[in-house]
Amino acid sequence: MAAILRPAQDRSGHSRGANPLEDGLRIEPTPGATTLVIFGASGDLTRRKLLPALHHLSRGERLPARFSVVGVARTPLGDEGFRQQLRDSLREFAGVEGEDEVGASLGARMYYLHGELDDPALYQRLRQRLDEIDGADGVLFYLAIPPSVYATVIEQIGAAGLSALASESGWRRIIIEKPFGTDLATARELNQLVHRHFDEAHVFRIDHYLGKETVQNLLVFRFANGMFEPIWNRRYIDHVQITAAETVGVERRAAYYEGAGALRDMVQNHLMQVVALVAMEPPTAFTAESVRDRKLDAILSIQPLAADGRSDGVVRAQYGTGWVGGHEVPGYREEPGVARQSQTETFAAMRLQLDSWRWAGVPFYLRTGKRLPKRTTEIAIQFKRPPLEVFKRVSPSPVASNLLIVNVQPDEGISVRFDAKLPGSRMQIAPVMMNFRYGTAFGGGVPEAYETLLIDAMLGDPTLFARHDVVEASWALITPVHDGWRAAPGELPIYEAGEWGPKEADALLAQDGRRWRTL
Amino acid sequence: MSRPQDEPLLPSAVEVPFSEMETALARWGFRPARPDAPRALTATVVAIGPRHRLSDAADALQQIGGQTGVRAILISCGTDHEPSVRISGTSVALEGLEPGYMNNAVAALRLSSLPTLVWWRGGDLATLDAVATLADRLVLDADDPVPGWRRAAALAEQTAISDLRWTRLTRWRALMAHFFDIPEVQAVAGTFGRLEVRGGDHHVLRLFAGWLASSLQSKAAMSIDLTTTPGPAPIERVRLADGTRELVLSLAPSGTCVQTAARVEGHAGASRTVSLGEQGLAALISEELRIRSRDLAFERALAALKGVA
Repeated sequence: MAAILRPAQDRSGHSRGANPLEDGLRIEPTPGATTLVIFGASGDLTRRKLLPALHHLSRGERLPARFSVVGVARTPLGDEGFRQQLRDSLREFAGVEGEDEVGASLGARMYYLHGELDDPALYQRLRQRLDEIDGADGVLFYLAIPPSVYATVIEQIGAAGLSALASESGWRRIIIEKPFGTDLATARELNQLVHRHFDEAHVFRIDHYLGKETVQNLLVFRFANGMFEPIWNRRYIDHVQITAAETVGVERRAAYYEGAGALRDMVQNHLMQVVALVAMEPPTAFTAESVRDRKLDAILSIQPLAADGRSDGVVRAQYGTGWVGGHEVPGYREEPGVARQSQTETFAAMRLQLDSWRWAGVPFYLRTGKRLPKRTTEIAIQFKRPPLEVFKRVSPSPVASNLLIVNVQPDEGISVRFDAKLPGSRMQIAPVMMNFRYGTAFGGGVPEAYETLLIDAMLGDPTLFARHDVVEASWALITPVHDGWRAAPGELPIYEAGEWGPKEADALLAQDGRRWRTL
Repeated sequence: MSRPQDEPLLPSAVEVPFSEMETALARWGFRPARPDAPRALTATVVAIGPRHRLSDAADALQQIGGQTGVRAILISCGTDHEPSVRISGTSVALEGLEPGYMNNAVAALRLSSLPTLVWWRGGDLATLDAVATLADRLVLDADDPVPGWRRAAALAEQTAISDLRWTRLTRWRALMAHFFDIPEVQAVAGTFGRLEVRGGDHHVLRLFAGWLASSLQSKAAMSIDLTTTPGPAPIERVRLADGTRELVLSLAPSGTCVQTAARVEGHAGASRTVSLGEQGLAALISEELRIRSRDLAFERALAALKGVA
């Protein structure tokens, strides 16, 4: 978000304290005193994403004057070890070399506790440490740990009284990484457990896709521009394609991925959130509840994907050996930690139909997979052709449909494809692109999704986080499909690594007279 | 970067006659420095001033033009009603233009329907009044800012105004404001009785003091001590104190970071080091390009300058 003259309210509409100097300040809002408690502080997510994000926020002066980090994990590191991990992480993942004053200042406010996550004594030590920290009125717990221990940690936080407020001006919030549950029943259980210790307003279910500028910009694009929303419906749009493609395989995540698969790892959270943003009705205001209410409506309008154990509009597959990026790569079942007979899908594609006035008859096609030819995530809005082919007799080239492409990653931006006349005396028509790219349009860097989301959670703004009912509605769609696959595994199609999925995915669109976009 | 004064403002640009500049721009279109980088056309920036103050402005705007969609128009004031025009991919330079023709030239060259920021680097005040009517935002940046500041109230009736000295203070102001997020500091906000500000630009020091005095609305008169130093940094240290309370911002030895320290009721806290951010002309103008609204805090700070020596 561009810097603005700072109003005395944050984005969620919460009144901030009466700071006499913040009126007209040209910076983005900063949270009040915060201590961030990271469970899983020695893990990959902390090293790769959280610590670089905190450093960048610190550089950009986004962190509060009183800010501390307490890392909690099983690895015995100690305060100095945690600070060394910060330096290593900044060097490896943020390109920070040598002496860095900001990093040193941040490190000086980082502390570390090690212990078993199910040991109540660990939480008593955490409580003691928080009491010692100046500015621990606001405490943000971050669960950067495997989902299998979410429940343990939440229960222990509650049992130790850490979710209770120490003062009237304080707050306690919790960020929970995806996946939130493994199906509808476990998501509900987890929600119930979380709600025993935290009010929903203080629960931040993180989906880093929603922190990306382009995804946020979808709301601005749709609802701040008068020219797009009138055509954003079944009258003008033929169909929508959403693709989230990865070139990497399962890497070191086999233990998790074997129990998850593409459907639960990607579709239930990331892609459903994106569908909701594309399909939602206009919110009455840009407030967390209004936006999330409309997103919930959108997800609830999706027709069930599976009935009687059958899911005709869903395709799954698994990658076999092949070539990606010029290298021969092993098949999924040959990856370390993967069962030789694994039935886990690494690719999923589906057709969604929405029962809404706006979208009736407009299919949303989703596909996601590993070991695909290109790393890209995009939303493609395919418009209908003009009603009359005016140029049919004079132009040898057919008229292409207009296309609006929202690039989520790696090159965030928006493109529009339209037809133009080729220069010359003959009437020849060729498609051209009009491009907008975040990386170049405004100058300066685009904030990492984790930076945006961390600050929002510290500010108490849940707009970009998934609400409990949205998560459950999404699981309600996905769970029957997964249950159906488990009950009747059938033959799992194998696609060659480096290809765009199995032929069944192509057939899914071919049935409707369409085909996937060439990316 | 200093360049010879006899060198044209855009040495690698193409020279065209004044009467043909619109045609030339239309023919060549908007040619960004990196043609592979699509960009949004975000604004026109018009830098106006004496010739010797436009070379570094030209460099800064070339830099911005290479990263964003800004069209730069550089105009040095003179007596020529039909001066030579030089056009490069993202910039247009008119050297020695008679002030009476200023509006006409800018109107012809600005990007349609997009904001225009006028960067005033000094000159005749009558011209300043005239170009203010063209601007969506007027950024003052004269060697001697006082004449412009005196006209600020009237200019603010026509357009949003700011000053690049004010832009340089953004981080310092934010860091001071962060202290006041601390409840113990907030509780005593109106009681600080002593302000010391030290740095190399007396006008910057006054502006900071004016802002703080107008924002805190101290119950008692605040003693303000401004010390101008020979150092290159416009502002080096700020100390706001009263009895046992003390809030201090100091430029780190590196010159790229600010160290903050707070002592409230004998309780030390909020000590940290934060980046000062880019302070070059390109970064400062880029920051101004991101502001779209009127800056009332700046206007209040100017109004409060009367009480700041």
